[in-house]
Amino acid sequence: MTDATPLHVRVRLPLDRFALDVDFTTTHRVTGVFGVSGSGKTTLLETVAGLRRGASGRIRLGATEWLDSEKGVRMPSHLRHIGYVPQDSLLFPHLDVLGNLHAGRGRALRDGNHVDDTLENVVRVLDLAPLLRRPVGMLSGGERQRVALGRALCSGPRLLLLDEPLASLDAGLRRKVLPFLHRVQAEFSLPILLVSHNPMEVQALCEDLVVLREGRIIARGEPRAVLTRPDVFPLAEHEGFENMLPARVLESGADTSRVSLGAGMDGPALTVPRSALPPGGRLLLSVPADEIVLALEHPAGLSARNAVPARVEKVQRVGPVCLVTASVASDAPPVVAEVTADASTELHLVPGTVLFLLIKTTAVTLYEDPSGTGSPP
Amino acid sequence: MLEVLRNTLFWAALATALVMVPGTLVAYVLARRDFRGKRIVSTLFSLPLVLPPTAVGYLLLRLFSVDGPLGRDTLGIDLDVILSWKAVVIACAVMATPLVVRTARVSFEAVDPRYEDMARTLGHGRAATFLRYTLPMARRGLMAALILGFTRAVGEFGATIILAGNIPGRTQTLATAIFSAQQAGREGEANVLLIVALVAGFAAVYASEALAQKQMDAARA
Repeated sequence: MTDATPLHVRVRLPLDRFALDVDFTTTHRVTGVFGVSGSGKTTLLETVAGLRRGASGRIRLGATEWLDSEKGVRMPSHLRHIGYVPQDSLLFPHLDVLGNLHAGRGRALRDGNHVDDTLENVVRVLDLAPLLRRPVGMLSGGERQRVALGRALCSGPRLLLLDEPLASLDAGLRRKVLPFLHRVQAEFSLPILLVSHNPMEVQALCEDLVVLREGRIIARGEPRAVLTRPDVFPLAEHEGFENMLPARVLESGADTSRVSLGAGMDGPALTVPRSALPPGGRLLLSVPADEIVLALEHPAGLSARNAVPARVEKVQRVGPVCLVTASVASDAPPVVAEVTADASTELHLVPGTVLFLLIKTTAVTLYEDPSGTGSPP
Repeated sequence: MLEVLRNTLFWAALATALVMVPGTLVAYVLARRDFRGKRIVSTLFSLPLVLPPTAVGYLLLRLFSVDGPLGRDTLGIDLDVILSWKAVVIACAVMATPLVVRTARVSFEAVDPRYEDMARTLGHGRAATFLRYTLPMARRGLMAALILGFTRAVGEFGATIILAGNIPGRTQTLATAIFSAQQAGREGEANVLLIVALVAGFAAVYASEALAQKQMDAARA
């Protein structure tokens, strides 16, 4: 999808150790900004939100100028129509959940939005009905994130700014919250700018990725392709690079499910932990690159349940390791495996090599929306 | 006797009301803004706390005397402050100011300014953010500022007696009445006033503690 309101950001802002200095334009629905902590990501988000003083340059959403330092234009934050979801939620402690959802109601009303419809929609999409009367101190981490997201959506924003929406959550909660983010993506036609240091998060959500290092853009493009670049991968590896692969459920047993990789039902089959979805249901599989074993022949007598035939597309040396990018199905993104440089040399891995990807069932994490409405794209 | 108590409480309430709004605003500015001379401003507002109350009283006396900066000769009108009930209120207000400003400032500093940023991204301007988010989040500290200011005003003696005197039925407060009774050897009267002060003080502190407890419970529930 490339039909969102264009967001143009060209800003310079001196920081303690370096200067934030970026220039990009995006028309993608979800644009990610990736970088390690301290690379200037949050500062960039706060600058777009108008919460940082001293930034020079130009920020424009569609035809609206938010910042044009040459012309002396600096629209204050409260007029920018942004929905900001900070990493730590920042729910107002003196209000309950409903009070927080109503916090941006005034603006939405002034804009002539159907605030009650929006609220109803937000409550439904984010499953907030059971929480409405709860004081915010009584919410779990995942619930807080959902309420913060809901509060932003209810204020009638034109741009959603997400700061590490999943990073503060543990693995279990990430699995629970990600489907909600997918639902928001599907149900609210809003451009989203998301910053994260988590490769899984940006791959699962973003269509376009900007990589930031010490305040400067060092790479830009489709998330998986960008994250496996030799100059970017070391940043991603800090968190562990995970393949995010779309798949569909074929059948489920007592402990495991069989899924088909890719968008269709006839891709390579994998045995994965049990899915709650019915056959045909769409989900995302996450497979850590360093958990994949490569074999030139179909192995026998192995505990790994999956041996997926694949063809090597690319072999890249990154420091002491090699990244092997291999395609498994025509309608699925390629899979990246991380092996030692020695192993790669011994197996004579070159583009075109046919091999098997050995994937343990337990190495696979499922991201799925049990209600089915927020199916991953 | 009851008249003294009633006057004291009324004047103290008036003094507190007079201080609360500007005191809160000054406290907010001191908590949030950096500007040249901030330390001087902050020191000035704390001065009545460290000066002898009689010194403050004398300063106010000079200020409001006929030829003082706020006197008849300068302003062209007579504010008729000295030795009137207005003097009591002014003396109490000035003496309560440092406690109100300092306590309110701490309570604002305890509110993470990022909540205010959050409110602004939700479409609230500066004033709305302050009224609807900052104030409610700082309410407990502001309540403490109010109570501290009020109790300081009720107990004020030194500045009051210099600026307002100690005129029974006109400017006499609980504090100055006890002083008079004791000085004149009217022990019985002094004792009764003491008991009145004890009961009123006890009730005020008890009520405020109960209020604070209730708020804590509500926050926890």
